[in-house]
Amino acid sequence: MDIEIAENGAFGSALVHLRSGEQFVSEAGAMFRASDNVDIDVTTRSRSSGGIMSGIKRMIAGEHFFFSRYSVLDDQDAEIGLAPILQGQVTLIECDGDARWVCAGGSYLGSGVELNIDTQFQGLRGMLSGESLSFLTVEGRGPLLVNAFGTITELEVQGGLTIDTGHVVAFEDSLEYSVGKAGGSWISSFLTSEGIVLHFSGYGRVLVQSHNPDEFGRTLGPLLPDRNS
Amino acid sequence: MDYFIHSRPSYSLAEVTLYPGEQLVTESGAMAWMTDNMRAETSVRGGIMSGLSRRVLGGESFFQNTYEAEGAPGAIGLTQGQPGDILAYEMDGEELLLEKGAYLASSPGVSTNSDFQGLRGLFNEGMFILRVSGKGTLFFSAYGDIQEIEVDGGYIVDNGHAVAWDSTLDYRLTRARKIRSFLFSDQIIMEFSGRGRLWVQSRNPRSLANWIHPFRSVQSSNDG
Repeated sequence: MDIEIAENGAFGSALVHLRSGEQFVSEAGAMFRASDNVDIDVTTRSRSSGGIMSGIKRMIAGEHFFFSRYSVLDDQDAEIGLAPILQGQVTLIECDGDARWVCAGGSYLGSGVELNIDTQFQGLRGMLSGESLSFLTVEGRGPLLVNAFGTITELEVQGGLTIDTGHVVAFEDSLEYSVGKAGGSWISSFLTSEGIVLHFSGYGRVLVQSHNPDEFGRTLGPLLPDRNS
Repeated sequence: MDYFIHSRPSYSLAEVTLYPGEQLVTESGAMAWMTDNMRAETSVRGGIMSGLSRRVLGGESFFQNTYEAEGAPGAIGLTQGQPGDILAYEMDGEELLLEKGAYLASSPGVSTNSDFQGLRGLFNEGMFILRVSGKGTLFFSAYGDIQEIEVDGGYIVDNGHAVAWDSTLDYRLTRARKIRSFLFSDQIIMEFSGRGRLWVQSRNPRSLANWIHPFRSVQSSNDG
């Protein structure tokens, strides 16, 4: 397997080259091009990560209910192009099997089938805040593709760092983190829709995105006519 | 005619220099700026019926503008509505098919005709395409990055991502294999076969519109 990242300014994408017998998994709907010897199978789970219930957890987590799984049908090489919906960068994380990665709900683009993916649900506090506080945990050794709204910056946490949840793309599980508020009380945080933040501590890498997709949606949504449902 | 495409691929703008007597045909609305010796003429190119079929079937505008430099060389800057890539392609007698909305501009030797793609178009709002032939420079544009693919055999493109392709390629619309869910009404793909070049865009405006939809306010029930 070989993954090319198209470093194309505002519109990043990934081209995954598969050899015969290899497979790859992506967020459902992320595939925009593929060679015709690829079979696209929509699955409720990624390897041993738990079937329907896990799928429902993912749905609650704001992630698509289904993953797409790609297999090579013959003995030729194959390719799949993956891209997110919004403008922004795509980055490859080579998971080395030592530390798990935690990936924000909307930032997951795709991964090798050897990686185990599960959902962490952040519970009521996350729901109340109106922010989609959902994370996928990625375990094992293999390639993980993440996408961002805008550009991705890698930060090395040494000690402590606070990041707005809407800007978190992925982080290493070696970091301790807690959900908090940017300032004031929970009530004022809720009323002002001021960001819910993650307080990180310890040592590890965090990928942050320059823009917050939910903020973008909340900027454009009210400018459009009301919807019926 | 000279041209340079600025800021590829994210925020492309084609700057075209015309020498006296040279002409450029553009999609209406494509002109961002021009020097003051450029004379514009709005026409229904190819006559009313051809213009109508382009409007109704091809999704391109009914009117096209023809620019000509008078007295001295003139320059014009062209862009499409969405941020993304622009390609300049030298036509040499072959025929290209362009997805609805991808046409930006061309030199006068290039001719454009709308083409109804018959039953292949049943699934898709965008299956009325533009058939481009002749000799000269063609500019086409996309939302996102444009990627060129040499097809030899078969290739799959998600619906809404194909921008242009050689007319030597055949294609059909089909549902992705093994779709097990009603949730994925949009999993319609284009299957290309044969031999030729295919250009795809890395983003899809319809997906963006669908993404924004949930952020719209919900109409309250007593509004009727």
